[in-house]
Amino acid sequence: MSFYNGLLNLTNWAGNVIMPTLGALFIAFAVIQFARGYHHLYSAWAYGGLMCLMVSGLLRMFEKFTGQLGWNNPDLYWNSLLNLVDWFANVILPVYAGMHVAVGALKFGGLFEQQVHHQFSHTRHFLGAILCLMVSGLLRLGEFFVTRGTAGVR
Amino acid sequence: MAPPQLITDFMRLMLLLAPSAAIICLVLAGLGLRQGSVPDALVGGNFAKWMFWAIVFLTLPQLISWFPSFGVPASLPSGGIGTGWMANLQSGLANFVQNFLLTRLATSFAAFFVLRAILDTVQGGHPLPSILGAMFLLAIQTTLNLINRYNSGASTATADVLDSLWNYLAGTLCPIAAGLAVIGAIWNFVSHRPVLPMVGATLGLLTVSSIWKLITTMM
Repeated sequence: MSFYNGLLNLTNWAGNVIMPTLGALFIAFAVIQFARGYHHLYSAWAYGGLMCLMVSGLLRMFEKFTGQLGWNNPDLYWNSLLNLVDWFANVILPVYAGMHVAVGALKFGGLFEQQVHHQFSHTRHFLGAILCLMVSGLLRLGEFFVTRGTAGVR
Repeated sequence: MAPPQLITDFMRLMLLLAPSAAIICLVLAGLGLRQGSVPDALVGGNFAKWMFWAIVFLTLPQLISWFPSFGVPASLPSGGIGTGWMANLQSGLANFVQNFLLTRLATSFAAFFVLRAILDTVQGGHPLPSILGAMFLLAIQTTLNLINRYNSGASTATADVLDSLWNYLAGTLCPIAAGLAVIGAIWNFVSHRPVLPMVGATLGLLTVSSIWKLITTMM
């Protein structure tokens, strides 16, 4: 028994066993929040659920950010922050831009928005019912994305 | 003139009991880990204080070797204790600390800490400090072996052990703690609490040595 082994196993257990299980719960919460029309809440649960499935990947990402210079280089923390900002600005924001272009195109149609937007209760309830019945499928979809995403981990 | 046998044996008794005193200090350090927040306990708190004394007890002969340079003759007696009742006392106390305090009591304390972790969660607190305390108490023997391994045997052994423990903390334990920080960041994100401190902490835990270099470069 050593403190090192205890801490290592605690981290592995929390990151690879508990968090993916909680991820399923978070996705279920996201569906419920969506069905209730709390559009400002369900996205946090949904993104949280997705992140729970990729704890190891996120840690590898931070390790990649902090591994670009030598361990004894005084600029390492700055360089790590720089890599984080670089990744956020050049990887995440373009994807976010693509999402907003898609949303903008949908809103541009006007009529289409009135049919499917979750703020409108009739479609929201129908869509909420469908999502409630396919929570497992949503989780498998998230797992599929994460599994496919491992190709991006170097 | 040679010192009397009783005085020499008393010195031997004290030196032979130093590892047992170190074990007591490590148990108290484990209990101190749960008093207050983990950062407070780790640096400047009860945990740090008892860890320091454990290291002092384990490197006592090396510390005493400084005395001749102050002009105080301090030759340490070698060999076993000659006086029978003193030898029995040493053997009994060492046995008490090893078999009762370390093997039984520390394990019971750890079990209570696990219970406390659950009660902390019930009260809306954080279970991690209690879990870390339980792990430390269960790993006292390994920690003792680790400190003994870091003992260089030189007169600067106390500082050498502290340096080595810092390296172990920064190079081995902190990168693992970064994984826990990522989990904390996700938890904060879901519960609408600030995420950026956790992100900064994750980067910090992965670059502790570099931040130390940065500070020394600034000096």
